[in-house]
Amino acid sequence: MKTKLVLYLITLLFGLSSCIEIIDDLTLNPDGSGTFKYNINLSSSKVKVNSILALDSLDGKKVPSIEEIQERIDKIAKELRMQQGITQVVVDANYTDFILKLSFDFTSLEALQNGVKAVIKMESGDKPLNQIDYNWVSFENNVLKRSIPQLNFKQSKQLDEADRELLKTGSYTAITRFSKEISEYSNELAMLSKNKRAVLLRTDPYSLMQNPNLLDNTIQLIP
Amino acid sequence: MKSISGIFLFTTLSLFAQRSEDLVPRQAVTVFTLNNINLLQQISLDDLVQYEFMEELQQELFDGSTSGKTIKDSGIDFDQKLNVFNGKGEKYTVNGFTFGIANKDQLFETFDDFTPVESPYSGVELYVSYFNRIAIKGDNGILFRIAPTMRLVDEITDSIWYARGNDYPWYNEDFQELFNQVETQDENVSPDMETGENTVNPENNYLPVADEDPDQKTYYELRDSVDFALQESFIRSFSKELFEEGKNLLSISPEFKQQLTHSSEAILFSDNSRRIETDDEFWYMRSLYPTLFYDVKELYEDNMILGDLRLSPGNVGFHIDMQYSEELGSIYSEMTRSKFDKHIVKYLPKDASAFFTYNIDMLRAYRETYNILVPILEKSDDMNVASDLMIMELLDILLDESAVFGAYKGSMFGTYSDIKKIKTKKIIFDFNEETFEYTEQELEAEEDMPLFTVGFTTDRTDLIERILKRMTKLNMEMTRKDDFWIIENAILNAAPVYLILKNDLLLLTNDSDFAENYSNGYPSNMIEKSVIKEAKKSGALYGRIDLDDAIAKLPKELFSERENNVIDVVRGKNGIVEITSSKTTPTGTSFDLNYSYEADMNDSGRYILDLINSIYVISK
Repeated sequence: MKTKLVLYLITLLFGLSSCIEIIDDLTLNPDGSGTFKYNINLSSSKVKVNSILALDSLDGKKVPSIEEIQERIDKIAKELRMQQGITQVVVDANYTDFILKLSFDFTSLEALQNGVKAVIKMESGDKPLNQIDYNWVSFENNVLKRSIPQLNFKQSKQLDEADRELLKTGSYTAITRFSKEISEYSNELAMLSKNKRAVLLRTDPYSLMQNPNLLDNTIQLIP
Repeated sequence: MKSISGIFLFTTLSLFAQRSEDLVPRQAVTVFTLNNINLLQQISLDDLVQYEFMEELQQELFDGSTSGKTIKDSGIDFDQKLNVFNGKGEKYTVNGFTFGIANKDQLFETFDDFTPVESPYSGVELYVSYFNRIAIKGDNGILFRIAPTMRLVDEITDSIWYARGNDYPWYNEDFQELFNQVETQDENVSPDMETGENTVNPENNYLPVADEDPDQKTYYELRDSVDFALQESFIRSFSKELFEEGKNLLSISPEFKQQLTHSSEAILFSDNSRRIETDDEFWYMRSLYPTLFYDVKELYEDNMILGDLRLSPGNVGFHIDMQYSEELGSIYSEMTRSKFDKHIVKYLPKDASAFFTYNIDMLRAYRETYNILVPILEKSDDMNVASDLMIMELLDILLDESAVFGAYKGSMFGTYSDIKKIKTKKIIFDFNEETFEYTEQELEAEEDMPLFTVGFTTDRTDLIERILKRMTKLNMEMTRKDDFWIIENAILNAAPVYLILKNDLLLLTNDSDFAENYSNGYPSNMIEKSVIKEAKKSGALYGRIDLDDAIAKLPKELFSERENNVIDVVRGKNGIVEITSSKTTPTGTSFDLNYSYEADMNDSGRYILDLINSIYVISK
């Protein structure tokens, strides 16, 4: 997902995590509506996450409390709920195992992207965002094009060597689902499900930060 | 005759020559004096400014103009002492350092942001930068920064702000939303009725912006002006005292004067008796119970920390004398009149990376504290203090002291062994290849955890056992297994803690191997007898750290930034650190920290700096 929520949580949680698992899951219906799910799983690093959350600050940066994180997530969910064409916004935050799940329905890809952009704008405040007008997903003539905005990854250069190494141990999975069967896709790293209705791409967060085009994919459906 | 006059003149000049320590202001509460700053000559300025105690230098040197230079290029006189100080008064804080000057031109190549300004003080040159000031008197200089306390700035700003008829200054969207909610909920209140909410100048519920009315300052602009005006005023009074009236720390503190006569590589002076007057922890008592504060303050009279850092090949020694008033000293000396608990010896394994023993008697400490505090509290006429005193006296009569302090005697020990993998649980997403749908699955996982064991001496195992039994009913995560108790997820919500009650000790550990196999200690792998002898000989405290990989591997995330600053002193080094304490007397206790390392003297400067930085962080 291309939101500041991602930016915020990734920045926070990558710093905390030795092993992060992210799933970005887009389901598209024939009429252009669909469901978007975003899952962040830090359960394999919960000792480390808990130990950091117990601190006031780390490396000179304030560590937010669970309440502050919850408040921030609630604010993002509230902003999404206010967007036209976005419904069924559900946040499931498990602070015992540190698993965060966000899902919502959208009436069109335009509504999805507008919703995401609204959240990015809200989270960015006055900071200029070069890619705010750029569309990351398009669907025309049974062809879906997806990319990952570079917006999220500019901060990778600010990470130190240790954090970079840790990021290499995590995983980022992007899934795109359709009701129709898929005839072909452009990304060689992608895998097709046995029922031929879903494409999965997986990499580690560090590689994705180095090359934001790694998960770009053009998917052709059988008409 | 001429030669006698010459000797007299030389002696007179030597005695009355200005020294760098003469410029240490009387407001300084903590001072580090480096006597042997030759040691620092090899250290680059870039490295030096990384230390927190050099934070005043940082502002000047982080602009890159001194990159690649060492402190010997800075024009500082290495035959003089370097005194780093900080002080906090009720109205302002002052930080900085004083130094001798060998080459003024070189000095201002380093401090290149400073520009000269006219000085109203005879024989004193003044230079200013954005943050700091340098004053030069003779061949000595002081770099200092004065900042008014936030409390004073806030008080004066608020006072002016409200006097000008302004609104509550922290209006923002959230506040307005809350304000609106309260107004909506409270519909029964007519607008004409005065309430807490509508008395706050509803006409101007926004911050005045300078763009709209250049004559009207926003709250922040006003605050900056107040801050600036106060700072200028305090700099004037500070400078007048130091440069014109000659009021310095030497003139008011015989202890500091005495410390300066020591020939050790560095000395520490910290006046705790003055710290209490400004310490935030005592702010509540100072504000609400000034008389009581005055009486309690007496307890802290003569409370000083005086330290000496000595260096010899392969060894850094730090000696600290803590001085107290007789009352406080009597509490401490009663508290430390305790016998070394022989049971703990077998719990100190030979291969422990670090351990400490702490040997005190809480019952004696309680009795002495009670005897000293009650007369002080009795003097107060405050109702709250009288109420607290009544509860204190009732508890003293009704509680069974021997049961309370028999269960918790105060003596304890702790060991740190190593980082080990501990078993935790993790959730993974399991993908279905048919559809790429996924479900959550719980799996066993492993994470790094430093292994600690802590033991408390007790005479009342029966009482503690009863508490632990009841706790298993109250806490679902707590269970009994064989001869120990387990609290699941007790550490960081992920790892268990084991509680063991054996040999008159309550043992807490996160080491499952210890709980299951070594709960009676390590009789066949005990620490060397010579070390045990040292621990027994020491006063209340003994500690020993073997600087091996285990210390280097201690995860930073488990400690606060302040604690990490202290631990950093031993990270990446080798050798043994030993901490001992003397027997406590009614007027003081001494502590010694000895650090033996296998390195040549070229590293000594850096080791000293590491140590000084830790001490600075602790004493700040």
